Amino acid sequence: MSETVTKLESYAEEVGTKVTALRKNENIVEVPQDKLKTFVAHVVNDLHIRHLMTITGLDLGENLGITYHFSLERDTIHVRSFVPKTKPVAVSIVDIVPGAILYEMELHDMFGIEFAGNPWKDQKLLLPDDWPADLPPPLLKTSKADQIRKRLGLEVEKK
Amino acid sequence: MSTSPEQQRREESAGLMEYSTESLVPFGPIHPALKEPEYFKLVLEGERIVNVIPRIGYVHRGLEKAAESRPWVQNMYMFERTCGICSFVHSLCYGQAVEELTLFQVPKRAKYIRTIIAEMERIHSHLLWVGLMGHWAGFDTLFMWVWNDREVVLDLVEAISGNRVHKSMNAFCGVRRDMPENMKDRIVERMKFLTDRARYYREVIDTEETMLVRTENIGRVSQDTAEKLCAVGPMARYVGLRQDVRLNDPYAAYDEVPLDIVTTTEGDVHALLRLRLDELVASANIVSYAVENLPDGPIRVKVPPVIPAGEHSSHCEAPRGEIFYYVKSSGGRTPERVKSRQPTMANLPTALEMLKGQTLADIPIVLTAIDPCFGCMDRMSFYDTETNRRWTWSGEELRQYGVNHYFPDRSKKQRGFTKAIDSSINRRQRESI
Repeated sequence: MSETVTKLESYAEEVGTKVTALRKNENIVEVPQDKLKTFVAHVVNDLHIRHLMTITGLDLGENLGITYHFSLERDTIHVRSFVPKTKPVAVSIVDIVPGAILYEMELHDMFGIEFAGNPWKDQKLLLPDDWPADLPPPLLKTSKADQIRKRLGLEVEKK
Repeated sequence: MSTSPEQQRREESAGLMEYSTESLVPFGPIHPALKEPEYFKLVLEGERIVNVIPRIGYVHRGLEKAAESRPWVQNMYMFERTCGICSFVHSLCYGQAVEELTLFQVPKRAKYIRTIIAEMERIHSHLLWVGLMGHWAGFDTLFMWVWNDREVVLDLVEAISGNRVHKSMNAFCGVRRDMPENMKDRIVERMKFLTDRARYYREVIDTEETMLVRTENIGRVSQDTAEKLCAVGPMARYVGLRQDVRLNDPYAAYDEVPLDIVTTTEGDVHALLRLRLDELVASANIVSYAVENLPDGPIRVKVPPVIPAGEHSSHCEAPRGEIFYYVKSSGGRTPERVKSRQPTMANLPTALEMLKGQTLADIPIVLTAIDPCFGCMDRMSFYDTETNRRWTWSGEELRQYGVNHYFPDRSKKQRGFTKAIDSSINRRQRESI
């Protein structure tokens, strides 16, 4: 077991969770929202894993999963956190990892998750400015491609 | 489509006070016929850029959503269409993420062929970029020379895969086409030619006044900033970070070929030019080595259409930097979720940081320097908050503005010559549409 994993386990214990190995050099940690910033600060400042590859959103039925993918050389660490679909508000990590700003905006557009603390959270990044408010965010499982096309007037008549 | 007056006012002033000394320049979105559209709100103080707000998504096609309703194999060729320059590496990265779930092993020969194609793609992408840099700097001779040499590597790619851009070479756990016989000598010879050319261009950019004036001390960013903003690829290496997936987390055959990772610490656009030309030489060496040491054996393992449940992520080094794919399977014929992140998205915050403090004339050079997958300045409109004056410039006018700003003494004849060529190119492009 490498030194990184040992340290990671101690930080995980601190926030009351544990490290699961997915495969060699790849670990996943599930962290509750209120402890997320503490844990990410440990990863970035103490373990010096400063490279955030991206943030992935997942539709898990009742919850939305937010996965932060960190990498340092051969080690990959996935930090996963959940927010309820009924109240999709998550903490922003922009003050710890400034490079996360666009990824958070992307998740806001695609999953409707609001990142409290992101300076550009009110601005759209990928969706059109006139995206109808009554349409669900496009990457949710309840959102259908046909429905979006119809609503935006992009339907192509079939011959 | 309607926007409220309040919203419109906010749009136009970028949230600034209405009577400030700063002016706002909306930059883009761009004519889609030429390159890709993009929009930047530039806040200026006189000539200096003080803030940049990006607005991307004009060519967002919803690939991630589309992937959820398509079979695994079909997705591989769909994701290859993400980019028209670095297409192979997308299918490679997506393929690797899925292969990890299937538990089949990729044959060694296939790994070598993947390495050869990926490196040839890097050579062609870097050459394309060096040419564009020449064009935007006002040195069109370089553009024409470099793009002529780019044909050499494109011909090789075509001879191997049958296509110049969308190779469709990858399959799950292997490649679809074997290397043609008797190509070894030809590839090695062409790689030697490209190495010589790259060395020559290196000499040109170090001595030619046009390139030196336009690129030296432009677009500086500190190592700490680049690291904080999670820059990838050449954008991380030009400030001295040894950030390369080929080195840090080897995939395909990169753990067996001679890797020469180039970094510089100068940290300006000129350093980026040198770095990419040096990388080109390193890539040519990898291709020559891989072709000469190509192992025998099968090139593909057949994989069933149903992928076992699980999740996996994979990252690869594309010409522009690290690309990332995440796949989640619930054991069906279609993926449950595919996430893809391209290098330009990761490098955008760093590029905005590079733009700050530069002049209006440097925009084309700095934005091209990150080798953006959108990098076109076809049309931009200007808005001066003090005089309420609006005007629009085409990409060519912006380029001329940049060239005239730096070289006001250049003879009109010379400028006219460049313009005549450009307009003939534009005319041909218009006719072909």
